Amino acid sequence: MNFPNRMAIFLFCVVVLLCPTLFPAISPAAETVQNGHTSDLQHSTANGHSADTSGHGHANLGEILPLWSCIPFACMLLSIALMPLLLPSFWHHHFGKVSGFWAAMLGIPFLWAFTGDALYEILHIVLADYVPFIILLWSLYTISGGVLLRGSLRGTPLVNTTMLIIGAVLASWMGTTGAAMLLIRPFLRANNYRKNRTFMVVFFIFLVANIGGSLTPLGDPPLFLGYLHGVTFFWTFKIFPHMLMVVVLLLIIYFFLDTFFYRKEDVSVPEEEAKEALKIEGTYNFLLLGGVVGSVLMSGMVEFGDVNTLGVHRAIQDWLRDGLLILLGIASLVATPIQLREDNEFTWFPIIEVAYLFIGIFITMIPCLLILKAGAQGDLAFLINMVKKPFHYFWITGMLSSFLDNAPTYLTFFNTALGSFYSGLTEAQAVPLLMTENAVYLKAISAGAVFFGACSYIGNAPNFMVRSIAEEAGTPMPSFFGYILKYALVFLIPTFVIVTFIFF
Amino acid sequence: MRFKTVLFHTHFRELALNSLRTIMELKTAGLKSIVLTHIIPRDDVSFVPYGGYLKETEIQMKTEAQIRFEDWQKILTEHGIQSRIRIEVGAPNAEILSIAEEETVDLIVIGRKKRTLLERVYVGSHIMDILRRSKVPVLMSKYMVQFEWEGEQLTRTNEHVFERPMLATDWSQPSKNALMGMSALKGIAKTILVVHVIDAKLTKGMSKDSIDRLEKESKQRLENYCRQIGQFGIETEYHLSAGKTVPELIRLSRDHKASMIVMGKTGKDWFEQYWLGGVSHQVAELSELPVLVIS
Repeated sequence: MNFPNRMAIFLFCVVVLLCPTLFPAISPAAETVQNGHTSDLQHSTANGHSADTSGHGHANLGEILPLWSCIPFACMLLSIALMPLLLPSFWHHHFGKVSGFWAAMLGIPFLWAFTGDALYEILHIVLADYVPFIILLWSLYTISGGVLLRGSLRGTPLVNTTMLIIGAVLASWMGTTGAAMLLIRPFLRANNYRKNRTFMVVFFIFLVANIGGSLTPLGDPPLFLGYLHGVTFFWTFKIFPHMLMVVVLLLIIYFFLDTFFYRKEDVSVPEEEAKEALKIEGTYNFLLLGGVVGSVLMSGMVEFGDVNTLGVHRAIQDWLRDGLLILLGIASLVATPIQLREDNEFTWFPIIEVAYLFIGIFITMIPCLLILKAGAQGDLAFLINMVKKPFHYFWITGMLSSFLDNAPTYLTFFNTALGSFYSGLTEAQAVPLLMTENAVYLKAISAGAVFFGACSYIGNAPNFMVRSIAEEAGTPMPSFFGYILKYALVFLIPTFVIVTFIFF
Repeated sequence: MRFKTVLFHTHFRELALNSLRTIMELKTAGLKSIVLTHIIPRDDVSFVPYGGYLKETEIQMKTEAQIRFEDWQKILTEHGIQSRIRIEVGAPNAEILSIAEEETVDLIVIGRKKRTLLERVYVGSHIMDILRRSKVPVLMSKYMVQFEWEGEQLTRTNEHVFERPMLATDWSQPSKNALMGMSALKGIAKTILVVHVIDAKLTKGMSKDSIDRLEKESKQRLENYCRQIGQFGIETEYHLSAGKTVPELIRLSRDHKASMIVMGKTGKDWFEQYWLGGVSHQVAELSELPVLVIS
């Protein structure tokens, strides 16, 4: 038996052994919940969950769940943060097992303790959050992977700045991953004759892989999670001034840096380098991207009722949107020649990684979200009491987004805000109020999650993809801490301080 | 046609060197040079989740491959065959086809990899993709294979694969191309078997007279094929059969002790090949013999 198999069996045994001991203290409480409130899944869904956003019926699970039930979530996020640094090779080959392990560490005892309610919560987060989240990412990744920018550009400061602007604009409409994958290789090719390329890729990560995606729910995963929880599609345009300020400041810094190095290097494009005219291939994929925008918009504008799926009520238009996104992705696969995808060096691996990791993230974060939703009645009341001002939300959401993935962090503080201002109301009632009465808090959470995702390689999924492609192409990239110390702290944090003073 | 330059791709699995030795036998048929190729799949070293690129792993893998290839080069040199080494990181199929074009090879040799059903459905067939897209002949090498025959699990070692090739023809243009390609085996093939299967679908509902006419016509065509191969100075024998094409071809290859199956590249489009699979691709997947597909 090989090592991974032995490891999997060992981990399974640990989970089985820990199962009766992990939630003993709350088991009687669980029975109370079952007897007194929501005894079986069918009953509870019929009464309490007419739509996936209603949020009541099981709300008091958050009042009885202990804080330590969030440990698997913390461990899951710490695994993502530390394992790529400490055990890169092991992590690369076994990240799926690690994700599965933490999901089991939460899922098995949770089901044992709360049976039907726990099953409901797991199915709810999988069907209402994970499935649409992965489908959107898959369709954006597939479709944008069918667009290829050919041709040779000369990487002058002006050209590079223009490419960063284009990338930042595209990011909100084709996703930060899509825009980054479309432009990173042409960007690297354009600059392959330059000596100092590291800072260019870092600014590319700042602007294209993160900050540019803050305008729509398609741009960055946290905003799509917000959309799934009731934030309207165009609400995110309210953080346009914040985004514009950050983008402009960073572009000015970038332009001066690039100009400085360009003059210092005193290099020119090699004569023998073949000049190929700029050409975009697979342009029909932009139409499909339009279809993605339309599908997401549609799901927020129409009401077709809802359908019970495994006890979870989901809106028909949400299923329809997911189906359309899958069809659009398949259309891109059929229409785009394999050769074009190969020239784009398209691979499924990154999206498979995201799918594996996020099932672990979503399942382990269930207790954390429930406790936060319980507001002052939950074990995270201290956090809710501590985070009061908009700039608290901006910085705490942001700082955690820097080192944890920004999507679950957004959802955590989104729920903190709901618990803080509208404890007792359903999500469907509370979110519109948060968007209007306390919009500044939601702006702070949204901007914090998206902007600070650029602060480290692990803040947002495209960061590591860009780093990987750059390193493969021979551009030296800073280490994990080098990136933070030499770039994030120097360029991003001062910019965010300015944003705080002006907007929060 | 001559197989002067051959691209030999390997994952360094067990018996890969034995597989190379079978290709070295082509020297008597004009083989001059072998491009030893190893592709490190990009996903093995790239896109570490929330990490970066495993540069050290890449260097280590490349170094290991280089050392192994250099050892093989000694053997090739001893046999008077030139060689070059190509080790790249990328998508294996695309890289193999790209190197084949850059090195202007006459034949691509690839090994078969067992895949799960999920891999076949999701990724499609790695071999099939190369068979479909290659502009030069592709040999699907199978040095040692396990297969099932009449309920028994058997193991077969394919040595001297060019000695008794079986050319399967359906009279199409790709089959004619394969026929012309047989000239490349002059000097190595002792006997070439030429076979045709009258497909069961074709004879369904046909009168006895029509079937007799079809049989007679098929035999004449087989004799004609044999005559043309005879002009290359290679001995031939032909066999005619009827029934389901793929199982019949596999049965013929076993009954007449073929050492390899040679077929023309199917003319089907991508969609048909992906979902239905052409005859050549099905034979390549199912037969225990190496399969040479000629474009």
